This record gives sequence, structure tokens and C-alpha cells, in this order.
Amino acid sequence: MKSGLRVKKALLSAFAASFILLLTGCWDRLEIEERAVVLGISVDTAPPGAAKREGEISHTAEGFPVPDVHMIRVSVQIALPGKIPLGPGESGGGGKGSEQTVWVVGAEGHTVDDAIMNLQQQISGKLFFGHLRVIVVSEDIARRGMQNINDYFHRNPEVRRMAWMMICKGKAEKLMNAAPELERVPALYLMSTMDNAVKLGKFPENYVGMYWSNSAKQGQEGYLPYVELKKHQNIEVSGVAYFKDDKLEGMTKPFQVAAYMSIMGMNPAGYRGVVKIGGASDSVMVYATSRRSTIKVRMQDGEPIVNVSIFTEVNLEEKINDQITIKDSASLIQIEEQNKKSLQKETKALILEMQEKGADIFGFGEYVRAKKPGYWNARIGSKSKWQRAFKELRIEVEVDSKIRRIGMKAK
Amino acid sequence: MKQAKHITTVQVAAIMTSTIIGVGVLPIPLFAVRGAGSGAPLVTLLGAAVAFVGLFLITRLGMRFPDQSIVQYGEVVIGKWLSWIGSIGVIGFFAILTSLTAREFGEVVITSVLTKTPLEVTVIVMLLLAAISTRNDITTFAYIHLFYFPLLLGPALLIVALSLKNADLINLQPLWGNTHKGMLTNVLTIASLFQGSFIITSIIPAMREPRKAMTASVFGLVIAGGMYVTIVAATVGVFGSEETKNLLWPTLELAKATSLPANVLERLDAAFLAVWVTAVFTTLFSSYYLAVKELSKLFRLQDHKLFSFFLLPAVFSMAMVPYNILHMYETIQNVGRIGLFVTIAYPGLLLVVAILRKKRGEPSEKRSAG
Repeated sequence: MKSGLRVKKALLSAFAASFILLLTGCWDRLEIEERAVVLGISVDTAPPGAAKREGEISHTAEGFPVPDVHMIRVSVQIALPGKIPLGPGESGGGGKGSEQTVWVVGAEGHTVDDAIMNLQQQISGKLFFGHLRVIVVSEDIARRGMQNINDYFHRNPEVRRMAWMMICKGKAEKLMNAAPELERVPALYLMSTMDNAVKLGKFPENYVGMYWSNSAKQGQEGYLPYVELKKHQNIEVSGVAYFKDDKLEGMTKPFQVAAYMSIMGMNPAGYRGVVKIGGASDSVMVYATSRRSTIKVRMQDGEPIVNVSIFTEVNLEEKINDQITIKDSASLIQIEEQNKKSLQKETKALILEMQEKGADIFGFGEYVRAKKPGYWNARIGSKSKWQRAFKELRIEVEVDSKIRRIGMKAK
Repeated sequence: MKQAKHITTVQVAAIMTSTIIGVGVLPIPLFAVRGAGSGAPLVTLLGAAVAFVGLFLITRLGMRFPDQSIVQYGEVVIGKWLSWIGSIGVIGFFAILTSLTAREFGEVVITSVLTKTPLEVTVIVMLLLAAISTRNDITTFAYIHLFYFPLLLGPALLIVALSLKNADLINLQPLWGNTHKGMLTNVLTIASLFQGSFIITSIIPAMREPRKAMTASVFGLVIAGGMYVTIVAATVGVFGSEETKNLLWPTLELAKATSLPANVLERLDAAFLAVWVTAVFTTLFSSYYLAVKELSKLFRLQDHKLFSFFLLPAVFSMAMVPYNILHMYETIQNVGRIGLFVTIAYPGLLLVVAILRKKRGEPSEKRSAG
């Protein structure tokens, strides 16, 4: 009796367990060949006449009206299954451009989703964004505003926050079609360009998630890398594209990235600077090895004053001619002094430029909000008010710099 | 039948922690920043403090009546009929809490992982799992919780530790936040995330040493509360309070933005979700167990297994009530805050009356406790 009950119990629970197996099923099964893995996306303005060519896929003239916005062109770079080199053994062969590893297709639409759906209508596999690494946005789209783009990628659960978003000079689609020699997958080349720029100190680490966080902050604006396609299909990091709210406000020069990173105390440092001593031809090249900066806020007469104090460690890398001799530590002091002056001018110029535009990419406003909440709550309290206050903000910059090493030559 | 008294203090602390940490892990930074911006960790701490008041009351009551749970000593303290109302309130509330937990689980799964799986399936699988598990006795219940306990803390702490390199202290200053609109509401919402701790009322009768119940409660709450505060601080530290307001599940987003060093795993959200399923299960398990167990005590039954499946259709249909995800969160917050009456005010009332009427449980009393 008792054992019979136990058997019955065991059978029953096995039955119940088998039900669970049935229930979990494979609703979400999707073979890898059936999905179109998107590695990169570009967003451009659509060429004129796009509205006429567009099929009624996400909207019709009647029920779901056409949104009243400018048309955009979205191109995606899809990895071809089986063609992406996986191991070191495979990557040696080939190298005949990117045509074989990816497929670049594009479509026009009114919004990002509209364009992607127009594209999906033409592609058999389901577009899958889980491996999206690079989002390239053209300059004119960014000037018009990033809200739609940010919203789409923010909302999509597949997109990772570690992807790179960049602003591109000219047409963004060209970057999707670029076929660099070094890497067989163009999107991965774009990504490694940025990752190596970070490692070499050419650009701060700034994934799309960080851009979103910075843009959302009340006392800070977002920024993105500004890139340009060069003649040999290589990509130049040509400055910081800075935003005000969601609109592109302008671009800095590449060297100003160094000034920006100095103000923020970001490491590793990687830019070289020419330091002029005395005459026009008596110059040396130095490079910073590490930076430190402290940003302090103090109140004076009811107004905040931001104090930025930068310290860089510098090595000497090159001498332009032999008129300068470097044989004792005293001779380095002159270079140090000049380097300090140059860096101070450079950083002040960058801050002034940003103040003119009202784009606080440094996050000084965040410091005011965090350190002087009394003032912030009473006088600022919102992003738009800070944008105005930032223009009048008093900012002091102090620079200290030390030369440590001179390479392997004795003088 | 005298109930076996096996459960140790450590087990109770583990039960408390794993019960409290549940679905709430994902949206808690959002609730916290809605309260006070950069003061989010403080809001969480205050929420935990409010929750502690409730936990203190219920544990005190439990220690006063070490052989009984709230349904039983309720009758002793305020009489049969009044306590019926209270008990039905407790049971009903935890049944609703179970259904909402399952629904929230289903919504997260369907949004982020299994987009094509019907919601009903994810919900019912989870509920079935909990229902089957509640057929165990309280000793097994304690072992299951103790078993999953390290699994809950480890990965979450790992994510926090790894994400700290991207955190910026400026995001967490000023500590008390810039604006305090809606601070009280969100403190209460967060306090309601701790309501699973009410399970202590069912455990104390099975504890080996009921006088140590308070120690166990405090430990459980401190671990779970500390965990919540750490997660909130890490999330706000990485994203900043304004960006956290843009995210439905900031903790999941944090896992997405965190990678293991040396490119072992580039995003931890899949790993995190796997652990989180366990956390949801333990929470669901506890609230379901509480409802089932107390219901059987209400009807003076020896065995609670009867109700495990009996409650299932009701719990499942309640889970299907909210018509969209935002409505679900509104419901969860409202139900949670109203639930504070059940988990704080009702035990408070019982304790006051018990003290006034000098009612006290007799440890030697031979009572049937199922």
C-alpha cells in the first residue's frame, strides 16, 4: 500500500516534470543562419526624393500617418554566416577587402525604426542587434538632433551599452562600405580604431552608454568621437563632437582632445606637443605619460568658482635641431615652464570655446550640483538653466608639469 | 502532532535574505532615484529602516508566541472573528504578492530574453515550480533557501565590484539628493520590497531556538538591505541619477554594461539573469509558502499540501490582471504600499493588544501546528 503510493507519487511527479519540458518549448529558437547579425549601423540624411520611393511599410496614407520628420537613410553591415574568420588560423588567408565577410544594405525611412523595418521587409533573416559594435551617425543628422536615434537604441534590449557611437564627416554610409586592409570585418576595424585610440590615449573611453549617461546629466553634456574616412580606407579620429542636449553643437580639433583629457585628468595620455623654447626653430616635442586633475568648486560672493588644477608628467621625445642642448636638469626646467604655459593656454581656450557654445562637456555643473547643492537647488535646478549659467561661470585653470625622462640620448 | 523544531538561526537568516532579494533587484535603483536623485542610497536605507519596523514587530510577536504563527496567535490576542479579517488580509496579500512577483518575472523575461515565448508560459512555469516546492515541509524549505543563498550574493557582488571602476563619486553627491519630491512614496515603495521578511512568522514555530529569532531577522535584513543599498549605489554611481531615471531595469542595464576582465564575458546580463531567476524563485517560494501555510492554519488543517495547487489558478489569474507593463508597476507599487498596513500596522496592533491584555504563548502548550 505504502510503496504503491510512493510509486504513484513518483509517476505523478515525473508526469508533472514532463509537462514542464513541454512548456518551456522552443519558441525563441532561431538558427544562426536565419538571423542577420548586424555589426554596424550608419544613419544618414536621405537623398532628395526618398519619400516618393519609400514603400508604405510602417505607415499608410490613412490609418498610420507618415511622421512629419526628415527622411533618413539607415545602412546596416550584416555579418555573413561562415565567412567571419573565427580563429587565428583562418584570419591569415583572404584579406581581399571586406566584400566577402559582410553585406551592406540600406533603406530609407522617416525614423530609425521605420527605416530598419523597410530594410527588414527586404531581408530574409531577422535583423539581430546583439552584436552591434558601431553606430555611425552623419554630421548633418546629429545637428538635427539625436533624440530618435538615442531612443531607438536605448529601448532595444539587444543593443549593448559598450558599442561605440561616432559622428562622421560626410556620408556615414561610406564607413560601412570601407574596406580596410588590416581587418577583414569593417565594423570590427572601426571598433578597434576606437579601442586602440583609447589605449594610445588619443580619445577618452566613451561608449554609447557613457554618452547617454553624460547627456542625461543636468550639469553635463554628452560628446562623441568625430571621425573622418581617409584616402586609404583608414579612419582618422579627428576630434570631439560635442552636444548640447541632443543636438550636435560643434567639433574640436584633434589636439583639443588632449586638452580635454588633461582637464578631466584622463589616462593614458597619448598626445605629443611641440614646445617652443626661444627662437622659432628651437623646438622640442614632448609627450605626456600621465595626467592628474582635481576639480574644486568654491563659493565667492554667492557665485561658484570652479578651480581646475592639472598635473602632467612629461617625457621628451624629439629635438628639432641641435641648438638646444639637454645636458643638465636645469635645461629641462625651461621646457617645463614653456610646456606649462602652452598647456594652460590650450586648456583655457577649449574651456572658453565650450562656454561660448554653452556646452559643458566637462561636467563642471555636476560638480556644482554635487558639492554646492544649496546653490544648485536655489539657482539652477535644471539642465537648461545650467546651460545658461555655464556661459558666465568663472573657471580657473592651474597647470603643473614635470619632465621626467628624455629617452636614450644623453644630450 | 508536535512540529519538528529543526531550523537553526543561520538558516533563518539565509531564508530572510533570499526571500527579501527578489524581482525588486531590477527596478529598485529606479524607485530610489525617483525619490531623491543622487540621494538614492539614502532612500534605499530609509526604505530598509521602515521595513525593519515591520520586521521587528512581527519577530517580537513571534517570540512572544514561539509555537504559533500570526494566524494562530491572532485569535488568542484579538479574538476569532477580528483575527479572521486580519488573517485573510495577510493570506490574500501574500497570494497577490506571489502573483505580481511571477508577473514581473514574466515581463522581464519576455522583454529581454525570450521575446516570442508567451507571457502565460513563463508565469505558469515559475508558479508551478513554486507550487510543487511548497509541498515540502518547512525543514526542506529552509534547506532550499540555504542552498541558494551563496548563489544569490556572489554574482551580484561580483557585478557591483566589476562595475565600480566605471563609477563616479560625483554621481552620488550630495548624499541627501537635490530634490525630494516624492521621497516618501518611494521610501514606502522600497520598504514594500522587503515585505517577504514576513515569512518569519511561519518559521519561528519551527525554530530550534525561537529566542534567537530577532538576531536572525536583523542579520537577514542587514544582509539584504546592505545588498540593495550597494546595488543602488553602484548603479547610480555608474549611470548618474538622471540616466537611471531613463531605465526601466537599471540593475539589468548595469549587468549589460559590465564585462569580465580579459574579455571572458563581454556582457554579464545573461549570467545575471540566470542568477536572478533563482532569486525570484526563492522569493516566490517564500510568499507562496506563507500564503499556503497560513491558509491551512486558518482552517486548522494538519497538512498544507492541499492548498499548493488549490491556490494556483487564483494566483495565476491575478497575475494576468495588469494589462501592460506600466500598469503592472503601478499595481505593484500601490499594492506594495497598501500591503504595509498588513505587514506593519496589523502586527503592530496585535503586539500592542497582546501587551495590554498580557497575552503570551505557552511554550509547553500542546497545540496542533501543521
